[in-house]
Amino acid sequence: MTTRRDILIGSGAIAAASTLPAPAVLGQAKPRVVVIGGGAGGVTAAKYIARDSEKKIAVTLIEENPNYQTCFHSNLFLGGFRDYASILHDYAKLPGHGVDVARARAQVIDRDKKQVVLADGRRIAYDRVVVSPGIDLKYDSVPGWGKEHEERMPHAWKPGAQTRLLKRRLDAVPNGGVIVMIAPPNPFRCPPGPYERISMFAHVLKRTGKTKSKIFIIDPKESFSKQALFQEGWDKHYKGLVEWLGPKVHDGVKSVDSKTGTVVTGFETYKNCALVNVIPAQMAGAIARDSGLANQTGYCPILPESMKSALDTNVFVLGDSTIAGDMPKSAFSANSQAKVAAMTIRGELIGARTFPARYANTCWSLIETEDTVKVGGAYEAKEGKITASSTFISRTGETAELRKQTQAENMGWYAGIIEDMFG
Amino acid sequence: MRDGKRIASASAALLAFFILAGWPGRAFTGTFRGDKALGEYLASECVTCHQKSGRQVGGVPAIVGWPEDQFLAVMHAYQKGDRENPIMRTIAGQFKEDELLALAAYFGSLKPQR
Repeated sequence: MTTRRDILIGSGAIAAASTLPAPAVLGQAKPRVVVIGGGAGGVTAAKYIARDSEKKIAVTLIEENPNYQTCFHSNLFLGGFRDYASILHDYAKLPGHGVDVARARAQVIDRDKKQVVLADGRRIAYDRVVVSPGIDLKYDSVPGWGKEHEERMPHAWKPGAQTRLLKRRLDAVPNGGVIVMIAPPNPFRCPPGPYERISMFAHVLKRTGKTKSKIFIIDPKESFSKQALFQEGWDKHYKGLVEWLGPKVHDGVKSVDSKTGTVVTGFETYKNCALVNVIPAQMAGAIARDSGLANQTGYCPILPESMKSALDTNVFVLGDSTIAGDMPKSAFSANSQAKVAAMTIRGELIGARTFPARYANTCWSLIETEDTVKVGGAYEAKEGKITASSTFISRTGETAELRKQTQAENMGWYAGIIEDMFG
Repeated sequence: MRDGKRIASASAALLAFFILAGWPGRAFTGTFRGDKALGEYLASECVTCHQKSGRQVGGVPAIVGWPEDQFLAVMHAYQKGDRENPIMRTIAGQFKEDELLALAAYFGSLKPQR
């Protein structure tokens, strides 16, 4: 039940509960934007709208967690290339840009009333809402595996405790132990991510002398991102350690048993595995689906000129939960999409100048120490979708010097996007 | 990294500024022709990697406070393929001349923070 007192209208209510200075003039009708989700899309959108509107728009960011662990570079944590603290960030500097950070869980969007409903029943009115919840896992997509098995067979495809659990489990694999990764079907968060993770698994085994171990990838896809580059790298650095099996070979995962560490495929049964990393099928985050923003694919259709939901003109959807045409589901993409949404929203609410949408993405993958590859592109709104205007990918056989430079670029990008989001 | 770098005007005032501000805290005091507001929007694509503060981290160089002609020269070098980095070839390749001028105006207006 919602009482009248619980219905928060205007810009004072949430602000009063947090550290943001009170609005300049009480009762002044200031347009309000609510941003749901404190990740690469949401944080960027909130900061850009608040900062560039010079306080003419009230911006509230709703995020339930006190910190943000980046999924990007979490593989480098698994491989021992970064410590955990270095991939953990907080929202402390956002109020300085005019963003009111509300620590709460957003439950659903009441689109008819233009209100975001929080898990505790409170409501926040909006003129525009930005939805950037990331992905949810389809726990029923791997036979025999579900949420109740994620401790024994971690996914680590959403950040936090699962990332640290996978690191502990990886470090505990004995020499001769078998690792199986069940890779996800398209479309999923971070297309090169599973294969960079495999590289980090192999790096740890090699570095700790566990060369009798073996890593199997059971993949539902016939091919994967940067495949030639990864396979060249595995052959060069981790010969005999990594074996990739496509669907024609393994004929699908028939069942898994988390108690015995067993993975049964149509081709082979892997018993007593030291580590099984199940990365299941994915879909848009719950709030996007529950608010009627997703279609039958489980993801959200958007207008490529603006990142507006194709289903509601007051709603913008960003990042992994969207159907973003040629753009992959990456933090870089979400950050880029957020800037287009922020510009459009400032244009609509306070008449700021707008320009044609431009998007960019690059995904770096570390294969072995100082051996990094990249893929990316520039994108525009064309033919009703976000369309690549130009793309690039690292080549096989590149020099060690170039790969080392690419890794330096990777580290520079991480520092850059963190500064862009949280600085 | 810094090839093609030229200083547009070597007036005494400018030199004095460089001395006072120190490397790399130099700023361009000449004029820019580009649309700075357009540049600010387009620059949002750049600042995912290149920090607005001018801080250089890892393999991503600082690009703030450059003179217009230097900014153009570097971007043209990527467009023509004289410079190798495929990301920068892709990014530079999509910009028209007025957009490059806009970017030069925006980044040129920023002062490196130290």
